Amino acid sequence: MIPRLRIGRVMASRLVLAVGVFAYFALSDDRFFTTNNVFTIFEGFAQLGLAALAIGLTIIAGELDLSIGSAAAVGGILAVTWAGLGLVPAVLLVTLVGAGFGAIQGYLIHRLKIASIVFTLGTLIGLRGLAFLISNEDTVVVPDLDIARVVKHQLWIFSPFSLVTIAVLIATAVFLWYSRWGREIFAIGGGRSEAVAAGVPLRRPLVLTFMLSGAMAGLTGALTSLKSGSAAPGGFADLLLPAATAALIGGVAITGGSGSVLGIAVGSLTLRFVISGLSLRAEPYYVLTFVTGMLLLIVIALELLVDRPEARQRFGMWRARLGRGGSRASPA
Amino acid sequence: MKERLVTERVVEAEAAEEAAARAASPWRVPVVVGSAVLLLLLVGWITTPRFVTVDNALIIVRSASIIGIVAVALTFVTISGNFFSLSLGETASFSAIAFSFMIAEGWGVPAALVLTLLLALTFGAVQGLVVAAGANPIITTLGAGAALFGLAAVLTENKTMRTGSHVADWLGRGRPFGIPNQTWAFVILTIVAALVLTKTPFGRRLALVGSNAAAATATGLRRGTIAIAAFAIASLGAGLAGMFTAAQVGQGTTDQFPELTINAIAAVLVGGTVISGGEGSMLRTAVGAVFIAGLDNLLVIRGYSFGVRVTVTGLAVLVGVSLFTVLRRRAV
Repeated sequence: MIPRLRIGRVMASRLVLAVGVFAYFALSDDRFFTTNNVFTIFEGFAQLGLAALAIGLTIIAGELDLSIGSAAAVGGILAVTWAGLGLVPAVLLVTLVGAGFGAIQGYLIHRLKIASIVFTLGTLIGLRGLAFLISNEDTVVVPDLDIARVVKHQLWIFSPFSLVTIAVLIATAVFLWYSRWGREIFAIGGGRSEAVAAGVPLRRPLVLTFMLSGAMAGLTGALTSLKSGSAAPGGFADLLLPAATAALIGGVAITGGSGSVLGIAVGSLTLRFVISGLSLRAEPYYVLTFVTGMLLLIVIALELLVDRPEARQRFGMWRARLGRGGSRASPA
Repeated sequence: MKERLVTERVVEAEAAEEAAARAASPWRVPVVVGSAVLLLLLVGWITTPRFVTVDNALIIVRSASIIGIVAVALTFVTISGNFFSLSLGETASFSAIAFSFMIAEGWGVPAALVLTLLLALTFGAVQGLVVAAGANPIITTLGAGAALFGLAAVLTENKTMRTGSHVADWLGRGRPFGIPNQTWAFVILTIVAALVLTKTPFGRRLALVGSNAAAATATGLRRGTIAIAAFAIASLGAGLAGMFTAAQVGQGTTDQFPELTINAIAAVLVGGTVISGGEGSMLRTAVGAVFIAGLDNLLVIRGYSFGVRVTVTGLAVLVGVSLFTVLRRRAV
C-alpha cells in the first residue's frame, strides 16, 4: 500500500516553475539574488511553509482545515504570554496545545461524521474569539526582546525559525513516506470508500491529520509572533490564502490523495520568490494579495485543464472538432 | 474479502438509517432552530429587561439585515451542493466602491444601482463557471476574493471612495413606515427566495442537483448552469449589501466588510441548511441571521467584550452544526 507517487511529471513541472520564477527575478533585479534577500525569502518561507503544510496535509486527506489562521493567532498569543518560561519550552508547549486541540477537532469530525469545512468554520470563529479573550483584546508583547533576537538571528541565509521549519518539513516527509499511519492519510484522501473497504481505519488518519495541522498552525503562530516580539489577537486572518496557494502550486491535488511535502515546500518557496520579487519593486501589500489570488485561480484553472482526464478528453474533442487531430475524442 | 463485505453492509445500513431518520422527522431541524430562538428570547427576557422590547427587536432585525440579505442569497449556493463562497465580503466591498464611484461621477442612482448589481452578478457567474468546470468552490472563491480585493485596491489605490453627494441617501437611510430599507429588502428577499426555492422549477432543480448530483445529471439537468446561477445569486446578494451600505455611509472601501463572509456562512449553518446540499430553507437562514444578531445584541447589552461575543458565536455555530448533523442521522 504505497501512496501514488506523482513525483514524475507533476513534481518536475513544479521544480521547473520554481527555478524559472527564481531565475526571472534574479536576472531582472540585482538585489534579488543576494545573501540578505535570500535570507528574507527563507524568513517568509519559514512562516508560509508550516501553514502550507498544515492546509496541504488536510487537503491530501480529503478534508480542509479552515481554522489554521485563528489557531495561529491563539498560538502566537499563548507563546508570547508564556515567553517567560523560555523560548524552547514556550514554543514546545504551544505546539503541543495546537496538536491537542487539532486531535480533538479531528476526533469530533470523525465521531460526529461532520464535514470538516463546516466544523473548522465554527472553530475559525470560536478560536478568533478566544484569541481576543486571552489577550484582553490587546496586542501582547514579550517581556524580553532577546527572545525575538534569538528567533530571527541570521545564520548565512537561515535563522533558527527557518531551520525549525525545514526540520519539521523533513520529519513530516519521512513520516508520510515511511510509516503506515502516514500512508493512511493518503489512502483516505484518494478514495475514501475504497480505503475503508480495504480495511484502513478512518479515525486514526483523521485525528492525525488535524493534530498535525493544529500543531503546525500553533507552531507558525508561536514562532512568527516571538520573532516580532508581539502578537495581536486579530493576526493571521489572511493565512489561509497564501497557505492554500502555496500547497496547490506545490502540486497538492485539491481532490485529495495526492501531493508531497517536497511539493509543498517548493510551492511555498515559489510563492515567496514572487512576493519577494514584487516587494523589491516596492509594490504595496494589496498588489501582493491580488497576485496571490490570481496565482491561486491560475493553478485551479491549470489543474482543471491538465490534471483531469475528463477535461483533457473534452480538450481532445475540441481539437477533433476543429479538425486538428485529437484521437482521444471517444467519450468514455 | 469477508471484511470488505461487512464494511459495505455497514455503509448501506447507515445510509438506510439516515434516509429513514430524514423521512421520519422532517420537523426536527426546524424545531431545533425555533427552540434556539425561543431559548434566546427567554434567557434575554429573564436576565435583561431591555432585550425583549419592540425598539430592541427593530435594532436586532436591522443589524441582521445586511448579513441576512447575503446569507439568504448564499443559501442557494449551499443547497446546490457547492458548500459556500469565501468571496462575499470582497464582492460587497467592490460593489460599495463601484457604487460610490458611479454616484460621485454623477451617473445617477438608477444607473449606478443597475450597473453595480450587474457587476456583482458577473463576478459571481464567473466564479460559478469555474466551479461548474469542476473546481473546488471553497478554494476558487478564496482566490477570487483575494483577486477582487486586490483589484479594488489597485483601482482605488486603496483609498476610500466617497459618493460626494446626497442623491443616494434615501437608499441607505430611508425608513418607509419606520422600518429601514435594508430591513424591507431583507424581508422581501427572504420571501422571494423562499418562493423561488419551493415553487419554481429552478428551485426544485437546485435542490435535486444538490441532493444527488449523479441522478440529476442522469435526468438531464445541467449542473453547470445551476452552479453558475447559484453563485451569481450569492454574489448579487453581496452586491446589494455593498450598495446599501455605501448609500448609507456615503463611501466604499476595500475592507468595508471584514466579517460579512463568515457571518453570512454562520447564519446559513445556524439555520440548519445541509452543507452537502439538497436540503435547506430560506426562512431558517433568515432566522439564523436574526438569531446571531440577537445573541450578539444580548451580549452587548449585558456588557460582554468583543472576545466573548465572537467566542459565543463560534460555539453557537459548532453546537448548531453538530446537533443538526447528529439529528439528521439518528432516529431518537
